[in-house]
Amino acid sequence: MNPQETALRFSGVRKTFGQVTALDSFDLELKQGELVTLLGPSGCGKTTALRIAAGFEQPNSGSVFVKEKDVTALPAHTRNMGMVFQNYSLFPHMSVAENVGFGLRVRGVDAAERDMLVREAVGRVQLPGLEGRYPHQLSGGQQQRVALARALVFQPEVLLLDEITSSLDPELVSEVLDVVRELKASGMTLVLATHEMGFARDTSDVVCVLDGGHIIEQGPPSQVFTAPQSERAQQFLQSIINSGRL
Amino acid sequence: MIRRNFWSKVILVIVAAFYVLPMIAMARFSFQRVPVIKLGWSTLGKNWTADSLIDAVTSERFLQAGWLSIRLALLSVVLSLVILIPTTVYVHVMKKSARSYVEFLSILPYVVPPIALVVGISGAMKVLGTWFLASPFSLVPFYVIISLPFTFRSLDTSLGAIDLKTLVEASRSLGASWMRTTRMVILPNLKVGIINASFLSFATVLGEFTIASLLLKFTLPAYLAESQGSNPQGTFSVGLLLLVVSSLMFALMNRLSKRKGHALTGLTL
Amino acid sequence: MNLTVRSERDSLAERVPFGVFKHMRSWVVLAPFTLFVAVFLLWPTFSVFRSALQPVEGSSKPAMLEAISGQYLDAILYSVRLSALTAGLGAVIGTLVAVSAVSLNQFKGLRNVLVGYSAVAANLGGIPLAFAFVASLGMQGLYTKLLSVIGINLSDLGFKISDFSGIVIVYLYFQIPLMTLVMLPAVDGLKVTLKEAAASVGATPRQYWRSIGIPLLSPSLLGGFLLLFANAFSAYATAYALSAGGSNLVSVQIRFYLQGNTITGKSNLGYALAAWMIVVMVLAMSGYLGLRRRSERWRK
Repeated sequence: MNPQETALRFSGVRKTFGQVTALDSFDLELKQGELVTLLGPSGCGKTTALRIAAGFEQPNSGSVFVKEKDVTALPAHTRNMGMVFQNYSLFPHMSVAENVGFGLRVRGVDAAERDMLVREAVGRVQLPGLEGRYPHQLSGGQQQRVALARALVFQPEVLLLDEITSSLDPELVSEVLDVVRELKASGMTLVLATHEMGFARDTSDVVCVLDGGHIIEQGPPSQVFTAPQSERAQQFLQSIINSGRL
Repeated sequence: MIRRNFWSKVILVIVAAFYVLPMIAMARFSFQRVPVIKLGWSTLGKNWTADSLIDAVTSERFLQAGWLSIRLALLSVVLSLVILIPTTVYVHVMKKSARSYVEFLSILPYVVPPIALVVGISGAMKVLGTWFLASPFSLVPFYVIISLPFTFRSLDTSLGAIDLKTLVEASRSLGASWMRTTRMVILPNLKVGIINASFLSFATVLGEFTIASLLLKFTLPAYLAESQGSNPQGTFSVGLLLLVVSSLMFALMNRLSKRKGHALTGLTL
Repeated sequence: MNLTVRSERDSLAERVPFGVFKHMRSWVVLAPFTLFVAVFLLWPTFSVFRSALQPVEGSSKPAMLEAISGQYLDAILYSVRLSALTAGLGAVIGTLVAVSAVSLNQFKGLRNVLVGYSAVAANLGGIPLAFAFVASLGMQGLYTKLLSVIGINLSDLGFKISDFSGIVIVYLYFQIPLMTLVMLPAVDGLKVTLKEAAASVGATPRQYWRSIGIPLLSPSLLGGFLLLFANAFSAYATAYALSAGGSNLVSVQIRFYLQGNTITGKSNLGYALAAWMIVVMVLAMSGYLGLRRRSERWRK
């Protein structure tokens, strides 16, 4: 696998909901193994971008490519991308093992191999031994990590993470971010929409700041955080710094 | 997606029709003096009159039954509230652990169908002597019992919507007397529950037939059963009136509770 | 001068007058309520069972056992059949209504109207409802006439509003809204995000329904069925009015046994039927409550 190969590419994506333009002229390219963070105020379009990549929304115009294959018209369940949601969305009637193994089951993987892969994924998110528990018995941080395991167990091309720490108590955030760090270190391609500025600055390869559906700043963290070029981005980052979150 | 919307609409329209059509038929029967056999396009608009309803509601029997039903309903509401308000306030403010016990007792009436209850009443109360069952007001405690699931739930829900215990403690720690606290903290939160419980109880009693008829009390539903033969149109029109009044009461109650932010997720549950 | 210790002890509830309650044992405060339920619910129920366990005149078996044999069993089975049928039909149609309403959720207010109406309709019943259906589908019914005009003659088809099929239709009037009320929160609980999560790991819509949608709905479906069954089984007034007291249902038959009791000496059978009704209700309601608890746990 060529590490410099493009894993995910948005090309001129535009999405409107009625009168509201959620995304416009959205161009973004991710190389294999990169971590891209989408930042911006609420309603800026970062969730929309992720949902379009996953296939839950159709763009009005523009295309999405996965490894240079046009997936724009493909239904979500055929795209082989993992997604983790803000509210975990674990299947409440299934155990951790069943949740994580569900993606394998629908792909026809047999029980023995499923078992092994599930155990491996659960270990990777630092939850060994909890395979038999049910979602309502787990903390928010644990549930989110199970959601991560579920999304990566079938080795997706890209992992899409939509504000995965926003619903968590502060002390649980770090355990989830640690897992994300480890995933990046192991070579996974990740797109992360988040408010966690510190994490964005320290761990991303590319930072993409959105506002009102447009990209107002894009580049490596060293550039975006210390020398933002657009005024709007400067304002946004300044307000974050002032609030002490950076 | 479009196709699913189409079928959804179809289903809702069919079910809505099922709800509405019988009422239309009832209204037509009550208010149109044209026997069904003679009904046709030409006679559709003829002979509509509210006479049968007027005759029925001014009749001796109706007034007797109606007056009894109203009194029974009012007494049941009062008795329900007198018993339940202190009890529910107590378990919400003082002893939350007792709440499950009260809740359990409040759903017990579900497992005893009114017909079984009335059978037991005649057997059990014989011991007390016939004086108790002779009075029509002996129905009141039993009406309180059968409305218990709804009335408890109404009060319980409205008190449980906020953490009443903490609010009461906050109020007391700010220096308010018990009277003040009751007036300004407990009662406002109870208001919605009281309204709901009252409406539910009232509507239930107005329509209750089983116990009343087997204990030979002459309430509105009993009137309906009795006059059916002698004055079908009038009786049906009174029945329709009862349905409309009950529906309005429930609807109003729903409206009121929604505005205060308490959704009634299922009256009977 | 240990002020803090004193204020801890001097807790709010310890001030009179209501504070007095704190000193009273809780059972004292709850006594009026408990007593009321005991006298007006538990005592009559106990009385039912006491008589039901006595033998019927001329036999040595307790009445309850007598009641489930031979001809008496017919009434019980008839009621069970009616209740099961109306529960089943009501469950299916009520669920369809709930699913339809939720999928049309772009129409704001539709849901509220539906909940409001269902809350009303689920409690309608008894005599007025029977009247409405007699006016619709009875011998002189408006729709009977309408149907005959287009060639469907109900009496030729052997349909009578007072028969089994007629009662089924009338019962559905309140069974359907009841099921709708049960299923609306359950269908809501199938949040869109679950469907998306399933799609994101590669499940087709059918796989989603089979592995996630249906299993999550099942407790509510089954619980709703039990609730509807209990509701139909305990109904009396509607069937009584439709059949003019002649129906084969247990509830109506109980009356027959008790009205003629002193002559036939079979009054204990009436009590026995009532006792069996209570047993059925306890089973159905426990099932319903247990299932509801499970689905609520998932909806957290």
